[in-house]
Amino acid sequence: MKKNLFTLLSALAIVSLALAACATPAPVAPTAMPAKAFRIGLVTDVGKVDDKSFNQSAWEGAQCGAKETGGTTKYIETTDPKDYDKNIAQFGDEGYDVIVTVGFALGEATIKNAAKYTKAKFIGVDQFQEKPTAGVGGLIFPEDQAGFQAGVVAAMMSKTGQIGAVLGTDVVPPVYRFGEGYRAGAVWAKKDTKVNIIYHNDVGFDKTFTDPEWGKTTALSMMDKGADVIFGAGGKTGNGALLGVAQSKKGFAIGVDTDQYLTVPEAKEVLLTSAMKLIVPGTCDLIKAVKAGSFKDGNVVGKVGLAPFHDTESKVTAETKAKLDEAQKGLAAGTLKTNVAPVKPAK
Amino acid sequence: MSSSPESHSGSKLIQIWQAITRTVLIPVLAVFTALIINAIIIRVSGGDPILAYLGLWEGAFGSPKAISETLVWSTPYIFAGLSVALAFKGGLFNIGAEGQLSFGALISAWIGFALPKLLGTSLPWIIHLPLALFGGILAGALWGAIPGWLKARTGGHEVINTIMMNYIAVLLTSFLLNGPLKDPNPFNVIARTPEIAESARLTPLIEGFRVHWGIVIALLIAFAVWWFLWKTTLGFEIRTVGANPDAAKYAGINVSRIIVLTMSLAGGLAGMAGAVEVIALNYRQELGFSIGYGFDAIAIALLGRSHPLGVVLAAILFGAMRSGATRMQFLTQIPVDIISVVQALILLLVAAEEIVRFIYRIKAPKETVVLTRGWGG
Repeated sequence: MKKNLFTLLSALAIVSLALAACATPAPVAPTAMPAKAFRIGLVTDVGKVDDKSFNQSAWEGAQCGAKETGGTTKYIETTDPKDYDKNIAQFGDEGYDVIVTVGFALGEATIKNAAKYTKAKFIGVDQFQEKPTAGVGGLIFPEDQAGFQAGVVAAMMSKTGQIGAVLGTDVVPPVYRFGEGYRAGAVWAKKDTKVNIIYHNDVGFDKTFTDPEWGKTTALSMMDKGADVIFGAGGKTGNGALLGVAQSKKGFAIGVDTDQYLTVPEAKEVLLTSAMKLIVPGTCDLIKAVKAGSFKDGNVVGKVGLAPFHDTESKVTAETKAKLDEAQKGLAAGTLKTNVAPVKPAK
Repeated sequence: MSSSPESHSGSKLIQIWQAITRTVLIPVLAVFTALIINAIIIRVSGGDPILAYLGLWEGAFGSPKAISETLVWSTPYIFAGLSVALAFKGGLFNIGAEGQLSFGALISAWIGFALPKLLGTSLPWIIHLPLALFGGILAGALWGAIPGWLKARTGGHEVINTIMMNYIAVLLTSFLLNGPLKDPNPFNVIARTPEIAESARLTPLIEGFRVHWGIVIALLIAFAVWWFLWKTTLGFEIRTVGANPDAAKYAGINVSRIIVLTMSLAGGLAGMAGAVEVIALNYRQELGFSIGYGFDAIAIALLGRSHPLGVVLAAILFGAMRSGATRMQFLTQIPVDIISVVQALILLLVAAEEIVRFIYRIKAPKETVVLTRGWGG
């Protein structure tokens, strides 16, 4: 019995040695890198770097930044909120030049660690800075402008003159800005458009963005009442609205955050466009700013835009495109204002 | 079956060897085998297993800071592992540690931030801190006692009822954190309580590190659980009920009472895990904190053979893997999920120990007495 056990253990030891031998040579340890190398670290919120959403966009931005600056980049995926500090510290202790932290939830940990690792510049994606902190740039987005453009397209494409929006709770400022921007854009494009906006305010935070069934039924009931373009914004709840439109096939849908043609393929046929936050170029540009020495503390406003029309391209009228072009030029030049408050005003 | 008469002098040694294989060798070999299988998985998926394990080791034990982080991770695992282990000893399967932990954490946080406001005065820490800790323990104990009482009274199976209680605890926590107990700061959009008062906080063990007094308490509690189970009458009664409830009843033990007591104690230990995370580390409760610890605890109790010392060692192993994962990811960029694969493999190999016996040609000992009717004997 003992002999057999011993033989097996030895065999396993040999196997592991063999594995070690055929393993590719270890990548050069970071500490052994030349001190001049420009290094970018990224810490995700609880989630993965290939989530087809925030984390992925920020990671693509970090990769773009590394490419543009001739630097290197690595990520750490967070599995538990109590590791925020530890994961940021991993890059801080290694003396990284840029540390990207993704999502509102990492805001406090980012500010805390910026005080500790003064050599690094921190980029907080979607982290609004109440007051500037040395070394921290909060990358935020004018969601109202993205919503505005979506509203213009919706109003121009509507045959019934009625459009709708199915959103998460308006207590979350970006959601409020998307929704009210949409309303403003629709009315700006066609004054008498009837805009029906429903925020999912009747449930808690854990549910408001993860309620596709509610999103779907709400979108369907709006369409029954005559709306023929629906803007779905708010995680899975918004995705549910897109699916509702896809199911009824009676109108068009507009997605949010990223190009949802790619993330909700079930709605391909009815999806006009998506109101996007351009996280990839936003993150990339900030990394380049750090390298160039032009990085500033405080809030940095990124860009927004609309996704390509894809399959619905042929159905989009020329006057829609012209009106959208006018809106985009006006917004860019500052001559056109959305007049949306940054957060929902207190009653 | 009665033990066979000693035929030669070696039989005593063989018995000891068998006792060792049963308690220590199988878990150790399970961990070892899981690491080897995992190395093959890493290799096949294009990673470097040696660098990965080196990173894991460095991240878990490579520096004082790493050791501190490992102990931070191990602390709730010890409490929750003891919770499941103690229930196993009483013949009960406590899948409810997750819910007991989350309810304990919530109550502990509430006492931590709301009590001074309710009383309109700040409390000295000597009163406030124990209140926050014992509040969490009691909340967990209550959450464990309910399925215990249902089992004793109606025969409703504790596995089903603890799972149900998990849902109630998690959803109740979610409701309270989104509503009545939410941090009222207007800039806060996260479902979490305000920070607890300074007077309810357990201090770090060493200045500059996150490791806190919780680890010392955890080790003391592990010793206390061992002492309670093996050195007191009540502990003996729990183990007897666990071994054979019919015999226990015949011997005059009030089985119903023992079942409720066992589940309450198990719940209290899990509640303590949640309470200590709040008062010593996070200083608040937030939706998403401490998720899954109660389920990891089942693996820890099984790997630790439901013995307090085994639980402590298994908890440190699991804590080390979770803590070292950051460094491993940093060095190799291997997805962190690989750690879950190791943990699942360990659980599989420990639960189905015949696999380990088969691989290493270890003979199963002849069972002379059925020691437990639950798992993790």
